[in-house]
Amino acid sequence: MPVSISRVLWRHELTLLYRNRVLVTLFSLILALLLASLWIGSSLLRQQQRTIGRIRAHGVEQTDSLKTRIRRVEAAGMRYPGFIWDDPTFAYNTARNEGPQYAVKQPFALQALVTGQSEVQPFYYKVYINKKQYLVHEGEIDNGFLQFVGTFDFAFVVIYLLPLLIIVFTYNVLSSEKEQGTWVLLKTSNQSIARLLLYRIGIRYGLFTGFFWLIVGPVLALLIGPAFLATSNWWWLVGFVSLYFAFWFAVAFWVNSFSLSSNVNAMTLIFGWLLLGLLVPNLLQIGLNRAYPIPSRITLSTDERNAINNYFKKDGQLLTKDVFSSPRTQIRQASVVTPGMVYGYGVIVYKSQEIKDQATRVAERRLYGQIERQQAAIRRWQLISPALLLQEVLSALAGTHWHQFNQFSLDVDQFRLQQQRFFYPKMASEQTYRTFTTADADAIPRFAPQVYASYDWLHISQTLLVYAAVVAAVLTLGYRRMLYAGR
Amino acid sequence: MIGLIIKKELREIVRTSKVAWLLVGVGVLVGLALYNGYSYFTTHSALLRESQQTTYQQFITQGDKNPHLGAHFGFYAYKPTADLALLDNGLENYTGTSFYLEPHQRGVVKFREVSDATGLRAFGFLNIGYFAQFILPLFIFLITHNIFAKEWENGTIKMVLSARVSARQLFAGKLLACWLLVLAVLAVLVLVPLALLLAHPGAGGVLPSYGCYAGGLVLYALLLTILGVSVSLLARSSSLALVALTGFWLLGVFLVPRLASQLARQVHPAVSSVAFDDQTFHDKQYGVGGEGTKDFRREHLADSVMQQYHVKRLEDLPVFFIPITIEYFEETDGRVMENAYNAIEANEGRQNRLVLASALLSPFLAFRDFSLHLTATDMNTHQDFAQQAEAHRRRMGVLVDSFYQKNTVASNDFWKTLPQFAYAAPGLGWRLSNAAAPMAILLGWLLAALGLMLLAYRRMRV
Repeated sequence: MPVSISRVLWRHELTLLYRNRVLVTLFSLILALLLASLWIGSSLLRQQQRTIGRIRAHGVEQTDSLKTRIRRVEAAGMRYPGFIWDDPTFAYNTARNEGPQYAVKQPFALQALVTGQSEVQPFYYKVYINKKQYLVHEGEIDNGFLQFVGTFDFAFVVIYLLPLLIIVFTYNVLSSEKEQGTWVLLKTSNQSIARLLLYRIGIRYGLFTGFFWLIVGPVLALLIGPAFLATSNWWWLVGFVSLYFAFWFAVAFWVNSFSLSSNVNAMTLIFGWLLLGLLVPNLLQIGLNRAYPIPSRITLSTDERNAINNYFKKDGQLLTKDVFSSPRTQIRQASVVTPGMVYGYGVIVYKSQEIKDQATRVAERRLYGQIERQQAAIRRWQLISPALLLQEVLSALAGTHWHQFNQFSLDVDQFRLQQQRFFYPKMASEQTYRTFTTADADAIPRFAPQVYASYDWLHISQTLLVYAAVVAAVLTLGYRRMLYAGR
Repeated sequence: MIGLIIKKELREIVRTSKVAWLLVGVGVLVGLALYNGYSYFTTHSALLRESQQTTYQQFITQGDKNPHLGAHFGFYAYKPTADLALLDNGLENYTGTSFYLEPHQRGVVKFREVSDATGLRAFGFLNIGYFAQFILPLFIFLITHNIFAKEWENGTIKMVLSARVSARQLFAGKLLACWLLVLAVLAVLVLVPLALLLAHPGAGGVLPSYGCYAGGLVLYALLLTILGVSVSLLARSSSLALVALTGFWLLGVFLVPRLASQLARQVHPAVSSVAFDDQTFHDKQYGVGGEGTKDFRREHLADSVMQQYHVKRLEDLPVFFIPITIEYFEETDGRVMENAYNAIEANEGRQNRLVLASALLSPFLAFRDFSLHLTATDMNTHQDFAQQAEAHRRRMGVLVDSFYQKNTVASNDFWKTLPQFAYAAPGLGWRLSNAAAPMAILLGWLLAALGLMLLAYRRMRV
């Protein structure tokens, strides 16, 4: 293609787009929405960071208060003036009151772009020795109705809205020439019409994508700081989003190559968008739920409760007799709470928690095994819907994918075991149940907050290559058809 | 004459290959929506029904225990699957179904299924409600967008208007042809689920709610059909009409609700869990309204109880003091928690009202709200369930603590005297009263559509 023709086409395309009022209006609207989504995402990120700051301050305050109260009891000759259940020198009391620590998943900067699972999964847990976080977590306080409605974020704008703008941009590249009568003129030129239209689509793609990143990059850097630019996650994200746009431009080119009317082109593309963006993922969901049904958490609690009942019918009888009927614990009388009672409850909680944890392990494996199978199937099938593929990739790159939340949850479970190992020996032994000191307060295990943003499981370069091959195939198909249509 | 126009239009629509494909696609989707909705309804109903029996059975057969320890073992109150969840499961996966009944803790509803969902959750759950809200409007717009525009594009409008047919007859004929096709889809949407529901024993009670739902669906489809036909007439270009109608659909279905939801979060921000815990802990520990610290109140309670029984030591009381303390703090701590949860619910109410207000810009959103209320899968029903479960928890607490005042061991004989929990969603009147606002908005949209129809009709000139 001679340089002069390229220049003519560039000028022609720019003038055409600039003079199309519908396009300019739509473009401005989408630009406003894009900016709004970036602002909303960054403000959600900042809100999360504020909450984490509050959690950190809360942890420091709590430890200081615990140590002060222990020192006060020690200074008073181990006499506690208040209610015995609040006496921090009892290991069991501290395990319930000030002992539970927060475990935090640090947000990754690109979370400002993709809410992903962070909308429904907790980014922090308060970890108790006697409560399995799977059974009690409810995450942050949020309105279920708003979660049901969905989030307005960058990913939503990119996955749903921009393809429609691309459709409006491209649905009549060829048909408008026919409908306006300029087709005959084009046919008389010495240029290949297929190549001409491919260039036109290419120019539009370049303009669209270039303009998009020119807006997103600087605005995001302004809102959350430029550090994200140094991460590989960001550059993969740029690659995948650009390829997603390329896919829709390629599909539009292919549809145009059928030489149908503008109306039919528009209908076909809109139907394609609906099919690939909404219906295929929905159908996949139905299939996966059928193939790998996810058991309800209710079964976890049922198993746990059955195990406890069985325990108290057999081995637990001995324990309860010892704890309830011993003159030391004095639980049989219920007038005043005695130190023996605190110890006795500590033993019961420790024993029954071990039973519960053991019982839920099987049910948990069943539950998480099915979710993992569904996730693996999504990875296998994601190519059938570019919207699904992009959503999976974007959430992984932003650190809001199920895998990352699951990893966080597993780490929290390990941390809970650490806490149990710390408190159990102290609270369930007659020698130590009331010897909790300031040194112990300092030694309470703390969770090291970390960012979960790795994406090893994605095989990202292969996925990108396969996706690029699909785009190239669609373009080639369109080009070949266009050669035929141009005759 | 109108009959002839209807016949001609219907024949033309059905003979167009793209419409035939569209109808096949719609048929497949309706089938899948029905399958999905029905399997959700049957499996969830059975699971929750059985689980309610199991958890209670576990509770009443726990054997000899200290009453307070046994009460901590507690049991779950499960929210039964909504009677019309076959049509629309609404917020059920987002609000949870399980409420733990145990002492000291004001229950929260747990086990939200959405927590265990994969990323596919974001694409929605295909059932009749989803179909009606997302796909039906697009189907209607695809059918109607060129019903008038094609006459201009084919150059046949002059011929049609110069024939014996009047403009009114032409408009009515085209509108009714589209409406008949939409009605055929609606008939499947309404009658098949009805047959499936009636196959279930005791489904007769839901028929009034079902009837109202069907009425709302017909009204909603009618207003969309009128809108589609009017836009086709005003635009006089199929492409322009299609872009306008699809844009309206996109704005109404995706954009407006999501933007409104974010706006609601910004305007009425929710309190964080950490702040909530800190505040409620502080209020319980140090008291509200100058009632004094917990230790002070405990001392005061002990003094007044000993005074009541004319004794000087707690050990000399004819009843055990610990359950009296438990019950006392259930009351005072309960007030703190109730105020805190009421504040959350009030804030959520403000957020929801803001989202509903945006339905003024989107009939799809108004219908979705209407659907949630009529199928009892809305926030109001959820809160009603949570209140009833909490009331049951308190009833149980009172019974256990009064038993514990005189006994330190409870056997299965005692556990069996504690009542099982059962919840039934409120009836039609309650549902309709909750749905009043979205119904009014839908009627407003119908009037607006009729206004647009009049405007379009008056402009039917060559």
